Amino acid sequence: MKHLNINIIAALMLLWLLPQTGKAQQYTGISGLVHVPSGEMNHEGDAFIGAHFLNKAMTPDTGFIYYGDGEKYHTFDYFVSLTPFSWLELSYVCTERIYRKDAQGHVINWSKDRYASVKIRPLKEGKYHPAITIGGNDVLTAGYLPGHSEVQLYFCNFYAAATKHFTFGGNELGLTLCYRYYLRGYNAKWNGIVGGITFRPAFFPQARLIAEYTGNEFITGLDMLLWQHLRLQASLKDFKHFYGGICLQFNLLGKKYKY
Amino acid sequence: MFHRNPFFRHFAIVAVLLAVSLCASPPKAKAQTTKQSVDIFMGLDLNFKDIHFETQYDFLIRLTPGFKWNMGNHWQLSGQVMFPILNQYGYEYSFFQVNALNISKEFNIKSLYLKATAGAFSHNRYGLDLKAFLPLCEWFAFEGQAGYVGSVYVSPYWEIVAPNRFVGRLGGDIYLSRWNTQLRGVVGKYLYRDIGFEGEALRHFNHTTVSVYGRWSNKFGLDAGFRVVIMLPPYHRKQRVVNFRPASNWRMSYSMMVREYSHQMYRTDPEENERDGWFSRDLLLWGSHTMEPDFIIKEKTKKNETP
Repeated sequence: MKHLNINIIAALMLLWLLPQTGKAQQYTGISGLVHVPSGEMNHEGDAFIGAHFLNKAMTPDTGFIYYGDGEKYHTFDYFVSLTPFSWLELSYVCTERIYRKDAQGHVINWSKDRYASVKIRPLKEGKYHPAITIGGNDVLTAGYLPGHSEVQLYFCNFYAAATKHFTFGGNELGLTLCYRYYLRGYNAKWNGIVGGITFRPAFFPQARLIAEYTGNEFITGLDMLLWQHLRLQASLKDFKHFYGGICLQFNLLGKKYKY
Repeated sequence: MFHRNPFFRHFAIVAVLLAVSLCASPPKAKAQTTKQSVDIFMGLDLNFKDIHFETQYDFLIRLTPGFKWNMGNHWQLSGQVMFPILNQYGYEYSFFQVNALNISKEFNIKSLYLKATAGAFSHNRYGLDLKAFLPLCEWFAFEGQAGYVGSVYVSPYWEIVAPNRFVGRLGGDIYLSRWNTQLRGVVGKYLYRDIGFEGEALRHFNHTTVSVYGRWSNKFGLDAGFRVVIMLPPYHRKQRVVNFRPASNWRMSYSMMVREYSHQMYRTDPEENERDGWFSRDLLLWGSHTMEPDFIIKEKTKKNETP
C-alpha cells in the first residue's frame, strides 16, 4: 500500500511535469538564451516576475566594484516583464549595487541600477526564414548619453537577432545569430556577432539546453518551466562560473501553451 | 451670516450647479437597477519607494476597509478609511486616514455620461466633483473632470481648509477592441497646482490591466512608469442585500522618477481604477466594459422565488 502511494505520487508529479514546456529566460526577463538575445518571443499575455544571480564574472567591469578596494562582487537583479502583444516584449529591471561595507563586511549602503528593456519582432518565423527581432536594454536613458558621462547605462545595448528552429523526431534545434552593440566602452567585449544553439529533447520538452558565445566567453545552460508557472535557468560561464535565476510566469490571457 | 463667508459662498455656488445638473438627468435614462445593496470590503494599499542608500525600500502598507451603499438608480454612498499596519514613510503617515465619504450619482444625457460626487475624497480632500464621458463612436471618446476642493484631516487632529482650488482634466480615449487596447491622453491642472499632460497605453487582459505612461508637468518635469490593475477573486459572486467581500481590485502605480506629487488627483470612488473607469458597467458600455465582465454576479433568490 505504501509503495502504491509512492508510485501514485510519482506518477502525478510526472504528469505535472510533462505537459509544460520551457521557452526562454534572460536576466532581463526578456526571452532569449542566457546572455545572448534571440529571435524568439514569449507568448502574448505572458508576464514574468523573477530574480537572477549575476556572477561577478558576467557583470560590467565598472559600477559593480566595492568602493575603495576596487574588487568586483557578485550581485543579483529582479525584474517584471510583459508581452502585451505577440510582437512586443517589455521589462523593467533593478540590479543591486553595493556602495559601501562596514569594517565587519556588512553592507551599509545599497543602490540600484534600474532600466527598461524592449524587444520587437518585425518578422515572424516562417517555414524557410527565421524570426527577426530588434531590441535593447536601458532604452529610455540611452538618449542622455551624449555629453552625460555620469549617466550609468551599465547594461545599455541594442541588438538585432534572428532565430530559426528545426524539428526532427520530435526534438527541436534552434539556431540564433545576433548583432549586438553596447554603448559603454567597458562592455565592448560583448559587441559584434554573437549567437548560440538550443536543443529541446522530445522526451522532456519542457527543458531546453543552451550553448552560446557572447563575444567574449562561452556559456552553457539549461532552462525549464515547471508546473506551468515556475521558470528556472542555470548556466555556467566557461564551465566555471554559475549564473542563474528563478521566476514566476503567468499568462494574463489565461492561455496554456504546449510550446 | 453665511453668505459673507467666502467658503460657504463658493460651496453654495458649486452645490447649486451640481443640484441643477442632477435634476437635469432624465429619470429613465437607461434600464438601471433599483435594487439596493450594501457592500463591505477591504483591501491592501501597498506603497514603496527607493530613495535611501541605507535601506532597500521604504514601505507603507495600509488596510483599506470600506463600504458602498448602492441606493438604486446609480445613487451611491461610499466610505473608506486607511489604517497603517507598516509605516516607514514617516510620522505623517502613521495615522488613519479617511479615503472616501461621499455621495455620488451617475446619469446620462443622451450620449453624454456624467457622474457628480460630493463629500470627502482621497488625498485628504473634500468638495465637489463632476466627471464627464462622451463616446463619439465605439473607438473614440472624450473625457473630462472638474473639481472644487479643500483639504481635510481627521487624524491626529481635526483640520479643515475651505475649498480653494479648482482642478480638472480634459482628454480623449481611443479603444481598439480587437486588441483590447486603450490609448489615453489628457491635459490637466492637478492637486498640487501643477499643469501638465499625460499619455497612457493600456492593455486589458483577463482580470488584469497593464499600462505604461509618460507625463510632463510644469512643476515636476518629465516622468514615466507603469501601472497594474488586478481584479481580485472570487469572480463568481452572489448578490445579497449585505455583501462582505475583498476589494474589487489591487492597483499599483510605479513612477520611475519618484515624482510623488506630480499629476496627483483625488479619487472619489474607494475602488476607482483605470480598468473600470469612472462609470458603472450597466450604464456605460464602452472600452473595457465591452469585454467579458470580471465578476459574474448571481442574484440570491429565495427558495419559493423563480430566478
